[in-house]
Amino acid sequence: MPQLRIENLIKHYAVDGSMITAVNDVSLDVEEGAFVSIVGHSGSGKTTLLSIVGGMITPTRGRVLFNGMDLSALDSDGLSEYRCEKVGFMFQSASLLPILTAKENLLLPVAFRPKQSAGAQQAAEQRAVELLQAVGLGDKINAYPSQLSGGQQRRVAIARAFMNGPDVVLADEPTGDLDEETEAEMMRFFMSMNRDKGTTFILVTHNTELARQAGLHLRMHRGAIGAW
Amino acid sequence: MQIGQKPYVFSFALKNIKRKPLRTGILVTAIALLVSALVFSLSFITRVNGSIKKTSDRLGADVIVVPTGSRGAAEEVLLENQVKSFFMDKGVVEKVRQAPGVETATAQTYLVTLTGLCCSVPESMIVAFDQDTDFIIKPWLKDALKRRIRKGEAVVGSESAFNINIGLMEVDSMLFGNVFRMLGVLEKTGTGLDNAIFIGEENMGDIIKNGKANIKPDQISVIFVKVRQGHDPKRVAAGIEDSILEADAVARKDIGKSIVHTLRDMSRIFSMTVVLASVLSLFLVWAIFSAIANERSKEVGIMRAIGAKERHIVRLFLIEVLVIACAGSVLGIIAGMALSALLGKSFSLLKNLSADLNAAEHIVIALISFFIGSGICIIGALSPIRRLKKMEPLMVIKVD
Repeated sequence: MPQLRIENLIKHYAVDGSMITAVNDVSLDVEEGAFVSIVGHSGSGKTTLLSIVGGMITPTRGRVLFNGMDLSALDSDGLSEYRCEKVGFMFQSASLLPILTAKENLLLPVAFRPKQSAGAQQAAEQRAVELLQAVGLGDKINAYPSQLSGGQQRRVAIARAFMNGPDVVLADEPTGDLDEETEAEMMRFFMSMNRDKGTTFILVTHNTELARQAGLHLRMHRGAIGAW
Repeated sequence: MQIGQKPYVFSFALKNIKRKPLRTGILVTAIALLVSALVFSLSFITRVNGSIKKTSDRLGADVIVVPTGSRGAAEEVLLENQVKSFFMDKGVVEKVRQAPGVETATAQTYLVTLTGLCCSVPESMIVAFDQDTDFIIKPWLKDALKRRIRKGEAVVGSESAFNINIGLMEVDSMLFGNVFRMLGVLEKTGTGLDNAIFIGEENMGDIIKNGKANIKPDQISVIFVKVRQGHDPKRVAAGIEDSILEADAVARKDIGKSIVHTLRDMSRIFSMTVVLASVLSLFLVWAIFSAIANERSKEVGIMRAIGAKERHIVRLFLIEVLVIACAGSVLGIIAGMALSALLGKSFSLLKNLSADLNAAEHIVIALISFFIGSGICIIGALSPIRRLKKMEPLMVIKVD
């Protein structure tokens, strides 16, 4: 059984009285530990597909199965738990909370998990520091987002996606704000997490060079998905 | 960092509150103003009601008979510590004793001293009472004196003692051209009679003879009545009024009714002010939290996207509301109590009230005001918080 099964997914949006099809009959199996890249023009439905797989929006038709569990059968709390414990999401923007430091932003997803022992919390703090060091921000642990550059904020958001040890990372243009060198560094980080921890990746990007580094390259066009 | 753990929620909420200090200040001030108005109003009403009840309970009489038209003045003497005199013919006492349902009746005469003109004490009430029939003053005297007051002797109420600075020492004072030896001080009773100086009725002859008091022979001010067991004091009072034209009678439970009527309008004004302040505060909290909800919708979207449940969002915002509500309410309670204490000294009605609030009453008023203030803050914020918790994580996702 694949870790992620996407079955005949369709998503329509009503825009100004007319119906737009963002995702058009997409079916896809993603095995555990796979590294999938999806390229496509703006408006091709990449983010919508990622949002449905991440349990953030519901499809018009079709379903997503995670380890055999149908996401459409989950209630609001169930979907929150899925997003908290199974999925790490990297948004198109850094999406950090401005009143929290870099470390506190990383600890935020941990805070939404069920109550943990003091030891587990200490471990989470240690993990936050390690992840910030891994993305090259070991000296910015207590910095607020306003004290960080756009690229640094993006790296904090990348580190945050790994805080709860997710099974699947859904990355939506995660390196958009980064210079070439840092982008390559982040890609190496993703690859190492995929290789060493077995984390499944679905990476949406415009950058075809990055996309080529994935094990499976896909392309979305007008809501439909195909090999590239 | 654990959102379910209080210290973290608290520090997160405090960080959010500190973001916009001016806005937080406005909210806290609005709640504080509302709560202070509540504390002041409740203190005022409780104090007035307490004073009336205390006086009524302490008097020990079932019915009070006063000259026709002097009921208000009598209540002012008994409840508000006012210094007033009013008179009726002494013959009314016998008529009252003959009235159906009356077991016993005793008369008192109220005289007002005028410094320099008649007396060596500051303006005070002099209460002359019949020691043979009295059942109002004697219970207090029993402990203080343990004997009858002789002619030329007086005992003073606790507040009068303060006024004439005699403490517990025996001193001689001039009252209406007669020298009186002040024997001692009565215990504080919490009624208007604490301001009086008590003398025996047998002194009235000399006082009238000296001509320094504005009273004619055989006049009295008030008659206190005990009714026979099984008789309704209200009916007895009505019977006295019907049979004695020159007297008004009031049952103990009705003492202070005229003041209550006057206060009813004041209470209405207070209530209207508090209701208006509550509605305004409610709208202010709603408007400010609606603005906060709009400003922070993206943040809530982020939190929901990375796993926050609806209850996490509600908890977080409720803590913020509660911190603001508690701060505003506590400040309001302090301000309201300070206001009550300050105005108590300048409001003539409050200044003259005999009963002060005790610690328990202060606590009850503070708690009621705290819960109403906090409740209004929470109710005002509920709708924006409800909107926030229902926010979909999609807010942060740019849909292609």
